[in-house]
Amino acid sequence: MKRFACYAAVTAVSLFTCLPAFAQDYSGHTLVVGTWGGDIERLLREHVAGPLEASTGAKVEFLLGGSGDRLSKMVAERNNPTMDVTFQNIYEAPAALKDGLVMAPDASKVANAADVWPGMNDGCYAMSLVGLGIAYSKALFPQPPEWSELWNPEFKGKMAYAPYPSSEGDGMLAVAARIEGVNEHDPDVAFAKLAELGAPALTYSSLDEVLSLMDAGEIAAAPMISGYVISNLENYEGIGFAFPKDPGPVLVRDMVCQVANSPEPELAQMFINLALGVENQTAYAKELNFGPTNSKVVLTDEEAARVINTPEEVASLLQLDWPYVISQRSDWTDRWNKQILGQ
Amino acid sequence: MKETPDIRPITTAMLVAPAACLMFGVFVLPFAYLLVLSFWSQTPGSLRMDTNLTLANYTRIVGDSYYLGGLWTTLWLSAVVTLICLILALPLARWIVLHAGRAKGLLIGLSILPLVCGALLPTLGLVNLLSPLGFINGGLKAMGLIQTSLPLLGNITGVTIGLVQAFLPLMLLPLITTIERIPADYEKAAMSLGARRTVVWRRVLLPLMMPGIVAGSLLVFCASLTAFVTPQILGQGKVVTFASLAYQQAALVLDWPFASALAMVMLLFLLLACVLGALVMRRLGRTV
Repeated sequence: MKRFACYAAVTAVSLFTCLPAFAQDYSGHTLVVGTWGGDIERLLREHVAGPLEASTGAKVEFLLGGSGDRLSKMVAERNNPTMDVTFQNIYEAPAALKDGLVMAPDASKVANAADVWPGMNDGCYAMSLVGLGIAYSKALFPQPPEWSELWNPEFKGKMAYAPYPSSEGDGMLAVAARIEGVNEHDPDVAFAKLAELGAPALTYSSLDEVLSLMDAGEIAAAPMISGYVISNLENYEGIGFAFPKDPGPVLVRDMVCQVANSPEPELAQMFINLALGVENQTAYAKELNFGPTNSKVVLTDEEAARVINTPEEVASLLQLDWPYVISQRSDWTDRWNKQILGQ
Repeated sequence: MKETPDIRPITTAMLVAPAACLMFGVFVLPFAYLLVLSFWSQTPGSLRMDTNLTLANYTRIVGDSYYLGGLWTTLWLSAVVTLICLILALPLARWIVLHAGRAKGLLIGLSILPLVCGALLPTLGLVNLLSPLGFINGGLKAMGLIQTSLPLLGNITGVTIGLVQAFLPLMLLPLITTIERIPADYEKAAMSLGARRTVVWRRVLLPLMMPGIVAGSLLVFCASLTAFVTPQILGQGKVVTFASLAYQQAALVLDWPFASALAMVMLLFLLLACVLGALVMRRLGRTV
C-alpha cells in the first residue's frame, strides 16, 4: 500500500509537470498573429487558432497582409511589440533574427520543432516548402517548358512577374544567371540575361489577374511559386505548372516566427507548436499543396507528387544565397526598375 | 447693445485646443518625424537605421535620371489629367447650372460618387473595362474590329483614364459653385452689345470662372501628384510615379529614409503648386 501511494504520488507529480502548457487558463489574453489572408488564414483558424482558443480560453486575433508589412511593423514596434507570431518568407527570417526582431527557434519550448526536417529552422521555424516553377499557357507551350525555353524570341514581352522585390523576382534572376553559367553573385550577367525576355506584359497584383490572362494566351508564362498556382489549376484548363530540371525549381520556404519581447510568449509558442503539428501541416499539403516541413506527415503518392516534402527533394532544388540577395535588395530594386521594367 | 457675444481669449483657446492637439499629434509630429527620417540612412545589410544626418537620399534622387524621370512623369501626368478634367468639366458644369433644372442635385450627387466610393472600387471596375479581356477589348473583338487587344492598361493611357475618372469631381464642384455666381445677364448684355459667342467666353465668362478654374485645377493637380492606388493598379508596375516609388522603397525594400526623402520631394512640389495657385488667386482678386 505504501509502495502504491508512492507510485501514485510520483505519477501525479509527473503528470502535473508534463502537462502541456496550454492546460493553463489564458482567459482574457489575446494572441496577435500576422499572416497572409485567404486559404492560409482559413487553415490556421481551423487547425491552430481554434484548438488553441478551446484549450486555453485565449483569443487569437489575425493581422492579415504581406510579409513586408509585418517586417515593417516589427521594426516600428521594436521596443513595444504588439504582434506575437508572424509568418515571414525564407529570406526575411534570418535577417529578422539578426536584427533581434524575432526569437531563435527553440525545440525545448516548441516540441514539434524537433520533428521539422534537419537544417530547415533557419532564423525562424520552417513552416512550409514550395518551389519557384513556371506557370505557362498550354496553348503556347505544348509540353511543360524548361527555363531556357522562356528565352524563345516569340515569347519576348509576354512574361508576367510579381512586384519586385520578391522571392519570385530574385529566383528568376538566379535562374537567368545559372543559364549563363554563373550564379546570383554575378548580378550584371543575371540582369542582362533576364532583360532579354523584354519588359513584362504584366506586373501582377493578384493571382486571378495573371491566371485569367494566361488562360486566354495573352501571357505566355510567369515564374510562380507552387502551392497556390497548383491549387488553382483546376479552374484554368489552359494553364499548366512545370517544375523545370535545369536548373531545378528555386526553393522558397515560409517561416513562422515568435516575435521578440512580445506580450504573449507562451501562447505564441503554443500557436507555433500547433502550426508545425502533423494535423495542420497535413491540411497545408492536402488543401494548399504546400509541402510539409514536419517529417512525421504522411501523404498519399498522389498528394506527395504535388508537393515538395522530403529532404531529398529539397536537396534537388536550387537554393539561393539569401543573405547575399537581401544585402543587394536596394541596388537590385533600382536595377530591376531600370533594366527589366524600364525597357 | 453688442451684436456678437463677448468670447474671452481663454474660451477660444479651449475650444480650439482639442482640434489643435489632434492635428499636432496626428499630422505635425509624424510630418516632422518624416522630415528627420529623410536625412537618416538605412544601415547596409540591416533593417536598422543610421541616425547620422546625411543628404545622401536627396543626392541619390537628383543624381539618378531614373528618379528624375519618375518625378517628370508624375508632374507631366498630373498636368495632363488636370487639363483633361478642365476640358470635360467646364461644359458639364455650365450645363448643370443652366439647364439641369430639378435634376441638378441628382447630377451633382452622381458626379461626386467617385469621390465617396474611394479609389479602389472604381479602379478595379476600370480594370474590368480596360484589360485585354475586358469589356472594351472584348466588345471590339466581338465586332471584328481588332484581332489583338488594345493596350489600355499598364501604360500612361490607362492611368490617365483612371485619374480623370477619379478626380473629375474635384474640378466639377468648384466650377459649379463659381458659375452659379455669374449673373445670367452678363452674357446677354455682352451679346446685345455685339460680342460674338467666342468673345463672350474669352472676355466675360472665362475671367469670371477663373477662381473656380484655378481652385479646381489646384485640387486635381495635387490629388494626381500624390495618387497611389490608381497608378499602381492601372499602371501595373510599368508607369513609374513618385508615389509608387515611395511605396516600393517603404513597403518592399524597407528603406524608410529613402522613401521619406521621396515623399518630401513630392510634398515640395505640392507646396510649390499651392503657392502658385495662391499667387494666381491673389492676382485674380485684384483684377476680377
